[in-house]
Amino acid sequence: MIFSLVFWLVIIYFIVRMSFGRQRKMHRWLRRELPSWEEKNIITAPQADAILGLYKLTRAKPREKMDMVKVLTLVGAIFVGLGVIFFVASNWQRIPGHMRTGMLLLITLSTLYAGYLFNYEREGFTQLGKSLLLLASLFWGGTIALIAQIYNISTSDNWFIMLLWAFPIIPIAIFFNNDYVHILASCLFVIWNFLYTVNNYTANYYYPVIIFALMLPFARRLVISRRINIIGLVAASIYCCFNKYEWLSLLISAGLLVYYLIQKEERVYLYTACLSLICWTITYFTVRQLQPNFYFLLPLGFILYLTYKDAVRENLVVCLAGLLIWLNLTLSSYSQPFNYQFHFLNFIIFQSFTGVIIYSAGIISKNRGYAFSEIYKIFGYLIAFLCTYLLSFRALLEEGPGKANLIYYYGSLFLTAIVALLVIDEARSGYFKNKASRLELTALLAVSLGNCLVLVNPQAISVNTVLANAVLVIFALTNIFLGVEIKKPSVFSMGIVIFALFIITRYIDVGWKLKEKSLFFIVGGLVILSLGTFLEKQRRKIIERMKTE
Amino acid sequence: MNKKLILILIGFLWVGVALAMIASKNYTLRTGKTVLLETVPVDPRDFLRGDYVVLRYKISDLDLSKIKTEKPHYSYGENIYVKLKPGDKFWEAVAVQKNKSAAEDEVIIKGKAGYSGRKELGVTYGIESYFVPEGQGRDIEKSMQGNKSSVTVEALVDLSGNALIKNVYVEK
Repeated sequence: MIFSLVFWLVIIYFIVRMSFGRQRKMHRWLRRELPSWEEKNIITAPQADAILGLYKLTRAKPREKMDMVKVLTLVGAIFVGLGVIFFVASNWQRIPGHMRTGMLLLITLSTLYAGYLFNYEREGFTQLGKSLLLLASLFWGGTIALIAQIYNISTSDNWFIMLLWAFPIIPIAIFFNNDYVHILASCLFVIWNFLYTVNNYTANYYYPVIIFALMLPFARRLVISRRINIIGLVAASIYCCFNKYEWLSLLISAGLLVYYLIQKEERVYLYTACLSLICWTITYFTVRQLQPNFYFLLPLGFILYLTYKDAVRENLVVCLAGLLIWLNLTLSSYSQPFNYQFHFLNFIIFQSFTGVIIYSAGIISKNRGYAFSEIYKIFGYLIAFLCTYLLSFRALLEEGPGKANLIYYYGSLFLTAIVALLVIDEARSGYFKNKASRLELTALLAVSLGNCLVLVNPQAISVNTVLANAVLVIFALTNIFLGVEIKKPSVFSMGIVIFALFIITRYIDVGWKLKEKSLFFIVGGLVILSLGTFLEKQRRKIIERMKTE
Repeated sequence: MNKKLILILIGFLWVGVALAMIASKNYTLRTGKTVLLETVPVDPRDFLRGDYVVLRYKISDLDLSKIKTEKPHYSYGENIYVKLKPGDKFWEAVAVQKNKSAAEDEVIIKGKAGYSGRKELGVTYGIESYFVPEGQGRDIEKSMQGNKSSVTVEALVDLSGNALIKNVYVEK
């Protein structure tokens, strides 16, 4: 189960990076460049707006200048606060306890009053006032720590101290609109939740309630604070998977979804609601003795609907990953009555087929003009590639002859049949008439056939090793040719990367068994350097040619 | 809402919380029963952190085959009550239970189950650390090393089972 989780998290990460990283970079660049084009009279303001509109972008806000007063007062406040906390942490024994407490409270309340005074009563010192209010909040933490120390109040349950610190500073954050204190309180609640869960070995249902009811409503315009709270909630959801806290992640997911519906411009709410939902289904699976969770599909369907309706492209990746995790958990639960154990080879081949099917769904989606077809293709492609790469290792194929997991085995065969039907359907619709589509078909068929042969004949380890490596090479070559054909440098470069990865991996595979490893690495390093330089030169040449054409 | 009024309310809230902390301690001081607890040597690596002393008691490790217990096994983090009775010099654990009932001459102390073996049960009582004046921790640390600890803790336990340390004595 953990392996499955890690596997899908890696996939999600790469897909999100690949799909959106470059696009975002380009959007940022465009927003930055347009004003300078306007200044140089290359384009007019309406033209700039039209370009931005084309990509659904808004004008970049001018960067706020670094306000030295703001920075200095803030840093100063934090330094003084830390100093006082360190000071009170050391024992200050010569003065009687009650007097020490009184002094600390006096300093804290004076700072609070000074913060109010500069913030609201003296004009021109607002920033200083805000910093002093933060300082007072830090002092407050020091004060309660010192009181616990002076009176030897048990600090074994440190979570309670965090709560005593966080709650009383919330009014400052809310009523005095102090962003710094809001961030401080958010951090304190995250720490509190962690300490509470670790100390009490129990799910902390209070945490999401406090965050949803108290923190997030006042963080609508505070991006940092909002994100800290969201990260805290997702961390709590992930923690549930390892501790069998079944309903906590569902509660968090529901809360985040409600917040998304209220504040749609913060799309992170939707991703994290989906992530928490995935955590819930994993927890459900572990808590209920590996029972399948069909209830999961209902909220996931709703999130998927919102993803399409609001065009939240990135969330489609999370939804697809969730669906695959659920599918794997369901198959695992059906494996239990038959006592089928986890079989790595069966597992990987099954994932590979799901990748092929998702890719095919991307093709169909594109042909019919549906949205997000590229996401399906990239997602499916990466899964299929990763699985093909893993299958190219002999050590993994050697695990094949063990007792197969027939649920995954027949599941894979079922998926093969679906792939065949999809290919036939697309062939009938005339999709594979052009060269690029035929290249896609070659890769799809190579992966499907290769997987099928490995699946039905796991004993032939040497043959399967050659077969899996051949599929990997076909994967690389079809990418390279497809990149040239459709004039897409990214696809072409991906083919080169796969090819280079194939050579390096196989070289290490062979060389690692040699006794003389130093020579192997020196020679190997030189060969790879030369090969890398050659491939990079060729790659650049071809990409340049693509651009000029 | 009037900002000044909010400021005043925040001030009152802060003072109130501080006073409540002190009052909770005073409640235990006023209503608590004094028990003398024997400490056991602590691994010096974890013993002294900053200016507080880490303490471990004889009642921190219970042998369930020698005392009464409601259950043969307690899960990690479970809230329990340990019944203490006065021994020759120190108070000793005589039972582990889930409720607070105790005879007149007994004291119930609230704890949290730690590791639990077939017969052993580790318990924490929230009195495992004690703040000391700067520099004095080392002396206490030395007294707790070796085969036998010469540190005795005088603790107060209130009616709810909450404990706090009143004094730490070091035998010279």
